[in-house]
Amino acid sequence: MDWIYWSPVLVAGTVAGASTGMLGVFIVGMRIPFLGVCVAHAALAGAVFGSLAGLEGQALLVPALLAAAATALALGLMDTERLRGDSNAILSLLFSLSMGLAFLGLGLFSVLGRSDNDVRSLLWGSLTFCRWRDVAVMLAGAAGLGAFVLAFGKEMRAILFSRAHASAAGIPVMGLWVTFLVLTSVVLTVNFQTVGGLMIYSLLANPAAAAFQVCRGYARTLGVAAGLGAASGLGGFLAAALTDLPVGAMIVLVSAGLVGAAALLGRRRRARAVS
Amino acid sequence: MTPCAIEVADLRVVLGGRAVLTLDRCSLPAGDLAVILGPNGAGKSTLLKVILGLVRPASGTVRVLGEEVTRLTGKGLCRLHRRIGYVPQGLGGGGPVPLTVREVVAIGRTGRAGLLRRLDGRDWQLVDLWIERLGLSHVALCQYGETSGGEQRKTLIAKAMVQEPEMLLLDEPTANLDLAWREHLVAALDHLHATTRLTTVLVCHELEVVPPSCRRVVLLAGGTVVAAGCPEDVLVGERLAAIYGAGLEVMRQGERFALVPGTARRTG
Repeated sequence: MDWIYWSPVLVAGTVAGASTGMLGVFIVGMRIPFLGVCVAHAALAGAVFGSLAGLEGQALLVPALLAAAATALALGLMDTERLRGDSNAILSLLFSLSMGLAFLGLGLFSVLGRSDNDVRSLLWGSLTFCRWRDVAVMLAGAAGLGAFVLAFGKEMRAILFSRAHASAAGIPVMGLWVTFLVLTSVVLTVNFQTVGGLMIYSLLANPAAAAFQVCRGYARTLGVAAGLGAASGLGGFLAAALTDLPVGAMIVLVSAGLVGAAALLGRRRRARAVS
Repeated sequence: MTPCAIEVADLRVVLGGRAVLTLDRCSLPAGDLAVILGPNGAGKSTLLKVILGLVRPASGTVRVLGEEVTRLTGKGLCRLHRRIGYVPQGLGGGGPVPLTVREVVAIGRTGRAGLLRRLDGRDWQLVDLWIERLGLSHVALCQYGETSGGEQRKTLIAKAMVQEPEMLLLDEPTANLDLAWREHLVAALDHLHATTRLTTVLVCHELEVVPPSCRRVVLLAGGTVVAAGCPEDVLVGERLAAIYGAGLEVMRQGERFALVPGTARRTG
């Protein structure tokens, strides 16, 4: 294997796994796993219309980021009580809207007789063609997320428990929640171009679900989820290199395997604790 | 004269186009323990939410700890919430997150500590103190979601108490608890008030939950105050039968009350 060529791919898989794994603790913990798919489609819609406006290559990241952040902002600012729905109902609305816009834009490509290859790669990702420049963008997103969690860790712990309880304790929930959602959309979007929107979903859900099986305590759960996410990214890539199978599929399978292993371990621990 | 912790005047709350709460005047002196009693839909929880500024009234004034709540927004409301320990009806922690009981109690210190500041030794000392006081030491490091309903309620009370609040608001703290846990909790609340003299407002719909040290009951029905005063004056058989249904009678034993069917020892 050509390690010099593949090293940015390895680092990208590890960073994407670690950052989305950590995000997953909040997203899965607050029962809004749909957020990943919703943001992916919003980013796609942004990229589609950016491309229709004449942008190409890396520049498509800008409209993708703007659309994803706008969607996250809308979710954060919408009053669930006034709308008589929960976060998932609002996510469904935003998801269908962004998907409709994305497919409308994709339809316009054929109407105008133009190629939509550039934007389609956002949905599926292209991990094997990832370069150090992409890794730098992903690292910046992961560093931003890490800094936010470090700075507002205790507030995010309260929000993770319950936004209503956190608000009752005098925590400025709205500002933190909206900032977190926008940061989430940025981290997910910068990972899409390499990992792909669909694989992001498994990296959001699986490492967090595995960590919940074996961990007790906020900091430990965050650390283990990030570690399992990194292991999924790295392990999936190595498994793909060894078996010559698609990288994306292997990353999903490794992360799903980790959930199964964690569930067995958690069950054994609980049984031992009872006996 | 003792200053008032809560003063409500000419209050009218409209939700979904319907007036759900109308109150002419109501006040609670600092240091008192008051119980807001009434059947489902009486407006009890709405009144608590108005006091906290979570529900905006259509008209009226609401002064809490010297602040005009209806005028507060954002930061001002956050500051007020830090001075009030609120135990909502819901147990929270509905997700799968493995927060420990100790971590949930520490949420109470989070608002007090402020942004960009880690909880220090004193914060954790307070957390451990209230865990011990409420008899939660044996589950302190257990996952919150794996503890019993009673332990979760006590955890939320500990969370409210570590805020070092000037007032404690509890919304149906005995909901979903069995008789033994209900009695534990009533005793714990009674002891808490006796030892701290903290202004406490307890919302419930069962007479059995009124703690012995309570000297003020507000009886709500249909969004209005039916009666207010000391328990023995308010918790009268005919009045409660009219609200809760005919055939029910009030039983009193010492400072405790209960609503029972059939013939029982009448109050007064």
